[in-house]
Amino acid sequence: MEKIDLYKLHKADYIQPKEPVLIKIPTAHYLKIDGTGAPGSTTFDAAVMALYAMAYTIKMTRKKHGKGDYVICKLEARYWSPTEQCLSEIDKSQWQWQLMIRTPSIVAVSDLTQAADALAAKGKTPSVHQVKMNEFEFSNCVQMLHVGAYEDEHYTIKKMLDFANKKNLTAKREHCEVYISDPRRVPAERLKTILRMPVS
Amino acid sequence: MLVLWGIPQVIYLRILIFMRTRTQQSYLSRMVNVLNYIQENLDNDLCLDELAKQACFSRYHFHRIFSGMLGESVKELVRRLRLERAASQLKTSGMSILQISLAAGYESDMAFSRVFKAKTGLLPSVFRNTLKANYPCSSTASIRYITNERISSFEPLIEEELTMNVMIKQVDDIVVAFVRHTGPYQTCGQAWDLLCSTLAPEGLLGGDAKMIGVSYDDPDVVDAKELRYDACISVDDSFIQPDNIGIQTIVGGRYAMISHIGSYDKLSTTYRQLFGQWLSQSDHEVADKPCFEIYLNDPESTEPEDLVTDIYMPLKENNHGKN
Repeated sequence: MEKIDLYKLHKADYIQPKEPVLIKIPTAHYLKIDGTGAPGSTTFDAAVMALYAMAYTIKMTRKKHGKGDYVICKLEARYWSPTEQCLSEIDKSQWQWQLMIRTPSIVAVSDLTQAADALAAKGKTPSVHQVKMNEFEFSNCVQMLHVGAYEDEHYTIKKMLDFANKKNLTAKREHCEVYISDPRRVPAERLKTILRMPVS
Repeated sequence: MLVLWGIPQVIYLRILIFMRTRTQQSYLSRMVNVLNYIQENLDNDLCLDELAKQACFSRYHFHRIFSGMLGESVKELVRRLRLERAASQLKTSGMSILQISLAAGYESDMAFSRVFKAKTGLLPSVFRNTLKANYPCSSTASIRYITNERISSFEPLIEEELTMNVMIKQVDDIVVAFVRHTGPYQTCGQAWDLLCSTLAPEGLLGGDAKMIGVSYDDPDVVDAKELRYDACISVDDSFIQPDNIGIQTIVGGRYAMISHIGSYDKLSTTYRQLFGQWLSQSDHEVADKPCFEIYLNDPESTEPEDLVTDIYMPLKENNHGKN
């Protein structure tokens, strides 16, 4: 059976241009977990851990039962502000986020329940029951590659906003990040992150 | 913590530098013993266990230290020294080319002549009769075949610009579920598949479960089809072992850790540098147990150049009185 690699299959959704471009990202399925708090906070890290634990447990359990195999996609995170203010204007502890991993639509709710129950029974990965499967459409977005520290993303975001303004598009008060590099290992100045900003 | 009371810092530092120099010397002189042993036993079957014993090196790691310091494997060195000896015999002895070929480990003078010509550009018979013909030196550590003498020292292979960030870590015992793979490392994915798909439904891929690889053999020495490798995932004491899965403990202790960034195919280069350059210049001794690797990302979804592998080399405890 062919192994599904959604990241490669949908390469166009994950282009990494050095300058902002306009793209349309269709509906896709994601494993996701929601939360509030600064990236890197305990809640955030626990959510990342829960999401990955679920992703791998579901994948490998399905594989064991002969239900096919797929590659686990890159981690994506949507961030938005709970108020009228921009993200950069509010304290990071108030940031709302949704962590996502693009997942084949064949993954069923029963796969999630089974995985969450098994993981919860071992008690080492809390919040696994909060991981859900979601259909989501980013639709029209401005997208650009950011190279460097996460703290410097506002320069890239500014560039993307200017681009949207020039095209008479309105940016929503949220953006998405697709993590290409591993922040544990890659020096901050070399981190690669795709920034994606939904516009209308 | 080292207790420094009563010892002035300067004296302490001198002791430390002295100890370090002594250990470096010790790696060199122990390797010199091995090299002399090889020279004296070129006609015998040189087994690695015996060579390791000659220099009091761990049999697990002897070969990696050897090839790391010398820049060539034992097999390559022996083959080269036998050819160099053959060249010398051609010039200085009355032995027939067939006799020389057999002594150099070749089955026929044809096979020997082919290899000899490839190295020198000359057939053995022509080499014998050409006054100015020399056998080329291809050793990185300037070890050459010598007659009636003993090697007293050599220049180990050191890459000046190489910086290695090695950390010394105290590691606790790690209980792991594992699947043994025997064969080329490239095909160990099957062991990982079996292990992960057995552990996943049990909820054991969550938390801080670590993906660990233990290799027991040096791929430079052992045939690819016989390489033993354990795919391991850390578990806790409550783990109930399914039929097709083993359980074992990776013994804790002091380890030297270095992160290898890049493709798994290039792991052997980092091993060679760790053993040949870092270890032989350090004041540490490798312990007689296998190294292990912790994989920090998923090779399926990570570009090979971005893969991160932490390599752990076991060290002897209380080395030179240090904790």
